[in-house]
Amino acid sequence: MLKSTILFLRISCLLILVLSSCATNTVVKDFTPATFEITTFVAPYFSNPEIDYVYKANITVYGNELTGIFIAKKINDTTHRVVFTTEFGNKLLDFEISETDFKVNSIVEELDKKILVNTLKTDFRLLLRNQFLINEQFENATDKVYKSKDGNRFNTLFVSKAGEKLYKIVHSSKTKEKININFVSENNIFAEKIVIQHQNIKLRIELNYFKQ
Amino acid sequence: MKTKIYLLVLFLCLCNWSSFAQEQKMTESEIVAFKQSVAVVSKKIKSLSTDFTQYKHMAFLSKDIETSGRMVFKEPSLLQWQYKKPYSYSIIFKNGKILINDEGKKSAVNVGNSKIFAKINKLIVGSVSGDMFDDKEFTISYFKNKGQNITKFIPKDATLKKYIKQIELTFDKEDATVVQVKLMESAEDFTRIVLKNKVINAKIDDSFFTN
Repeated sequence: MLKSTILFLRISCLLILVLSSCATNTVVKDFTPATFEITTFVAPYFSNPEIDYVYKANITVYGNELTGIFIAKKINDTTHRVVFTTEFGNKLLDFEISETDFKVNSIVEELDKKILVNTLKTDFRLLLRNQFLINEQFENATDKVYKSKDGNRFNTLFVSKAGEKLYKIVHSSKTKEKININFVSENNIFAEKIVIQHQNIKLRIELNYFKQ
Repeated sequence: MKTKIYLLVLFLCLCNWSSFAQEQKMTESEIVAFKQSVAVVSKKIKSLSTDFTQYKHMAFLSKDIETSGRMVFKEPSLLQWQYKKPYSYSIIFKNGKILINDEGKKSAVNVGNSKIFAKINKLIVGSVSGDMFDDKEFTISYFKNKGQNITKFIPKDATLKKYIKQIELTFDKEDATVVQVKLMESAEDFTRIVLKNKVINAKIDDSFFTN
C-alpha cells in the first residue's frame, strides 16, 4: 500500500514537472536557452518622473466598449499615479500603484467592482513596473527573451536585438498565458501604442499616445 | 504659537483680499441686469457653433492635457461635441440617443428617458448658451471682474453632484455670451473649456447631427 502510494506520488511529481516545463516552454517555445547577460531588466516606458504619460484609451470588455483618457505619472521612486477620465475630463478612477502598495484615491460607483479593480491593479502594476529580476534567458536570431519570476507566476519579456526594444510582456502561470502586453515604441523612451490583452477573460485595453 | 496663529490669520485675510481684488461679488441689482442680458441673448439663439479648447488640469501633472475641436448646437436639443485634436472623437446627443464616432468606429447608446443624460445634455447646452439659471437645480452665486461676469453653479441633484462639484461660467461683459466653462471636480482637479470663434444662428441642417 505504502509502496504504491509512493510510486503514485513519484509519478505525479514527475508528471507535474513535465507538464509545467512544457507549459512554461510554450511562451518561449521558439527560443533556445542562452547564457545570462543581465540580472535585472529595466523597462523604460513609464520610468521618467518628468513625463506625463497621456494616452487615448479604448477598453473592450465582453463586447462592451469604454473609451477615455489614460494618464500615468511616476510620483516617487516606487509609485505611479494612474488616472482614467472620460473624453470630457470627468475622472472615472484614480489609483496609486507600487509593486507592494495599492491605493484607490477615487472611483465612480459604476466601476467600483472588486473583480474589476483587482484586474486593473494587476494590469497596471505589470504595465508600470520598472524592474524585473531575470531568472532565465533565451534567444533566437532576432530577439532576446528574459524570464522573471513573479510570485507563483512568470513575466516573460521579449526584447528585439536590433533596437534593444521591449516589445512584449507575457504574464503567465505555470500552465497558461494570462496577460499579454504589446508595445510599439519608436524612441525607446515611451511607447506610442500599447495593447493589454487578457487570455482568460474577454478584456482588451488599447492605449495610443497623445501627440499634443 | 500665538504668533503662528496670527500669521496664519493674516495670510488668510491677505489671500481673501487678493481674490477679492480680482473677483467681486455682484450686487443684487447687477445680478438682475446681468441675468436679463444673458436671457435676451440666449433666447435669440436658434443655433450655435463654436471652436473650443479643453484643458484638463490635475495638480500632479506637469502640464494640462489639451484637446480641441468644435461644438454645434441646434434648437431644441440637437448637440454635437467633436474633438479634432489630438484625436478624432465625436458625440451627438439626439432624441434620447447618444451617437459616438471614435476615429471612424461608430456606435449608438440609447439613453431613452435617462434623467441623468437629459440633465447632462441640458447642462452642456446651458453651459455654452448661458441659459442655466435654474435655482431648483443649482445654488448659484454671481461675481464680476474687469471685463467679465462669472457665475458659479453648485448642483443640487445628488447624482450630478457626484461627478461635478461646481460649474463656473465666464461671460464676456460686452456681448453676454459664454467664453469659458470650468467644471470642477475638486480644487486641484478641473476641466476648463475655452470657447472662441462663435457663430450664432447660422443655418444648420438636422442631417448634420448624424453619425
